[in-house]
Amino acid sequence: MTPDDQHAPASGTSVRRKEDVRLLTGRGRFVSDLALPRMRHVAFVRSPVAHGRITGVDVAEALEVDGVSAVFTGEHPAIAPVALRAQSALPGYVETDQPPLARGKVRFAGEAVAAVVAADRYLAEDGAEAVVVDYDPLPPTVCAWVEPEHPVHDEAPDNVLLSRTFRAGDADAALAEAHVVVDRELTTNRHGGNPIECRAGVARYEDRRLTFWSGTQVPYIVRTQLAELLDLPEGNIRVIAPDVGGGFGVKAVLYPEDVALCLMAMAMPGVPLKWVEDRVEHLLAATHARDHRYVLRAGFAADGELLAVSADAWCNAGAYSVYPWTAGIEPLMAGGLLTGPYKLAHYTCTVRGVATNTSPSGPYRGVARPSTVFAMEALMDSGARALGMDPIALRRRNLILPADVPYRMPSRLVDDSGAYEACLDKAVATFDLDRWRAEQTRRRVEGGRPLGIGVGVYNELTGLGRAASAGPRMAFRTGHDACTVRINPDGAVTVFSGVTSQGQGLETTMAQVVADALGVDYDDVEVRYGDTDSSLWGFGAFSSRQAVISGGAAHLAGEHVRGQVLALAAALKEAPVEELDLRGGQIHMAGQEKPIISLAEVARVAYLQSDRLPEGFEPGLEGTRFYDPIRGAFAAGAQIAALEIDPATGEIGILDWVCVEDAGRIVHPVIVDGQIAGSIAQGIGGAMYEHLVYDDAGNLSTGTLLDYLMPTAGEIPELRIGHVSTPAANPTGVRGVGEGGTLAPNAVVAGAVADALGVEVDDLPVTPARVWELVQR
Amino acid sequence: MKITLTVNGERHRVDVEPRRTLSDALREDLGLTGTHVGCEHGVCGACTVLVDGLPARACLMFAVQADDAEVATVEGLAADDGTLHPLQEAFSRCHGLQCGACTPGMLMTAAHLLETDPDPGRERIRAEMAGNICRCTGYVGIVDAVEDAARRSRSEATS
Repeated sequence: MTPDDQHAPASGTSVRRKEDVRLLTGRGRFVSDLALPRMRHVAFVRSPVAHGRITGVDVAEALEVDGVSAVFTGEHPAIAPVALRAQSALPGYVETDQPPLARGKVRFAGEAVAAVVAADRYLAEDGAEAVVVDYDPLPPTVCAWVEPEHPVHDEAPDNVLLSRTFRAGDADAALAEAHVVVDRELTTNRHGGNPIECRAGVARYEDRRLTFWSGTQVPYIVRTQLAELLDLPEGNIRVIAPDVGGGFGVKAVLYPEDVALCLMAMAMPGVPLKWVEDRVEHLLAATHARDHRYVLRAGFAADGELLAVSADAWCNAGAYSVYPWTAGIEPLMAGGLLTGPYKLAHYTCTVRGVATNTSPSGPYRGVARPSTVFAMEALMDSGARALGMDPIALRRRNLILPADVPYRMPSRLVDDSGAYEACLDKAVATFDLDRWRAEQTRRRVEGGRPLGIGVGVYNELTGLGRAASAGPRMAFRTGHDACTVRINPDGAVTVFSGVTSQGQGLETTMAQVVADALGVDYDDVEVRYGDTDSSLWGFGAFSSRQAVISGGAAHLAGEHVRGQVLALAAALKEAPVEELDLRGGQIHMAGQEKPIISLAEVARVAYLQSDRLPEGFEPGLEGTRFYDPIRGAFAAGAQIAALEIDPATGEIGILDWVCVEDAGRIVHPVIVDGQIAGSIAQGIGGAMYEHLVYDDAGNLSTGTLLDYLMPTAGEIPELRIGHVSTPAANPTGVRGVGEGGTLAPNAVVAGAVADALGVEVDDLPVTPARVWELVQR
Repeated sequence: MKITLTVNGERHRVDVEPRRTLSDALREDLGLTGTHVGCEHGVCGACTVLVDGLPARACLMFAVQADDAEVATVEGLAADDGTLHPLQEAFSRCHGLQCGACTPGMLMTAAHLLETDPDPGRERIRAEMAGNICRCTGYVGIVDAVEDAARRSRSEATS
């Protein structure tokens, strides 16, 4: 074995995840697990009505319940002065307040109205049951595309919190010239992230310092926003996100319950307050997503060229403009990415974020694009039928190709990928399209369950830099993350990364990147993360950004410290620095097998033996670097599947499912495939099962997991995942991979059912009942 | 009520309210936070433990119902010296976990499955594991892991 084999790069290999042993042995460190001296527990009183004025809150009886120590309401002096107000400079955006606990009126069923503090959760719930709230009901609105009888917020009489029109070229003129014009009207189903660990927080305030353990995806944003809301110096706030049991966007929000918990803790100094959400609360009051309507028109030339798209979209924003992202999060993404991986010159799209008396909408894996990919692929399928063209050939005719990049999309986003055709080709080949088409024909001739083939091609804007920042025109601009690499006096490495992890294995990925950039073994690198007191900065987990951005920072910091080590080694050994190499924790001269000095010895000098420190060298070996990709890295993907339908029951059977993605260079192959498989499963859940349904009175009628169906191992098929790999222009060459898989299943399932039955599928989810109705047509 | 809970072979005397769930008694009274709570209404399976050898939802059982019973939790899977259980090894090797929230319940369900059927095929594994929801993995790694652990345990048994 040569030294190079012994110290092969960690990147590109599936090393054992650093997270695994503690999570497999029951020693994870979740917020839900936290117990602190003097800790008390919180239960929220939630509104049973969707819309109404609060005419009275009586807490006297609750205060008599054994073990109850305090009850807070929206009018409590500790709570009343504070409101969450999601800000954006977008013209016409209507800013509205969200109180930590409802004040004056309630705007959705499940909104927190009061909070009870008690010795344990059982007693806190006893107290919550004893709080008496009187409501004077108002007419609720649950649909985002009807006129409200009574607005959710007085500031927005028509409930529209924002509206924006994206325009490129002249869509009307191009539609008038088109060979065929197709129209579609679609709705997508409200559903949500539902991580297995619900929201959880522990807030402790003592000595004028607030510590907030929170299962958040965005601890630094939370710290900044809390400082503003609580009027505390930011340096006096510490946010800790330890092991977090799944996030998927739902935990990238600062919630009113979080703020209430911190305000209550400040009113009860020295008493840590813990709130762990239960599933019923999660379904009621954590953010929902994807409740949209699209009215679409597309024009094609005779050869299949997509000439124009004209679209109107309504996104149900729920009762409040989600903090801090705003009600723009879904509609702006929908308008910006609707056209997906297709070239298009003429585009007009008006999007709206509309308030309703439902739980607020927020970020959920794929943000709006599972809906827009469904919309765009529906137009492609309709176009193919109208033109008498093969649907895959029509897609191929219009894809952004390598020669086209950088391609300026109609929404002016710049696409740097162009790997769409490569992904589609490989997916089609892996899937063996000809075989499935032959089987489809055989069944049509000989009989058998109808078989359909569905396809979805998509782009995923990952690792958004400052030029393509998530949530444009907000009060902050996401783009950069920081990483600190420290060599300890014993030569081992500690990384202080700005990442947070909710299962994505970033502890492992950051260790791999630093090990390679620095020149040490993976096992010699420890990663600290999820604590605003230990690492400098990271915007957090959203937009498939952390592998790209925090990974870039980790690489740059590792390289920087490697330079420090080599410079000090060169001075100590009087060797030319340009001939030195650091690998496996040893410093080598070019061409020599035997190391000249170990990293451990260099570190000892740097910290402990200043008498040996050459002139001009500062003690210590540590460096911090920021990275911002400026634009971001588009990731490409294509999914194709064969489904069969039982006409008697409407049940859908998935026969084969293939996904090919361009994740750029891959740091940990198994983690990457795990992200893709997991996101496809969530996409299939949204396409076929998951639906948060409100009745007209604003009651959530799918309030438990008996009604809200998430797919299990029994429903998710074997998934065949493939890759094309075009390295992105960033330090590690990676493209983000967290969300892409969710984008296609709506399009694939709806397209396959339409293909099987010769119908159009306009509404999601595609449940057995809906399929059965389509069969009966 | 004073009850005796035997957890992973260790006896504990605890005093609980009749309404206290077994999951809360394990987590709060015994500090065994490895057993997770995902829905508190018996659907997600995260809290699955073995009670007298059979899988049970610890969120749907009162602690008093486990009086004098043998309870096995995720904390008891690895050997005393820290050597991982074959299922734990396989879950790591096959990426059968991401965030780790569903993992304890998955492991206990799988442990019971392999106790009763050392050679379940993928279809049987999918059917038996369908009482546990995972939100991260898409189940591919979990099915791979259970299959892999079964295969390795069988080859160890025959070697």
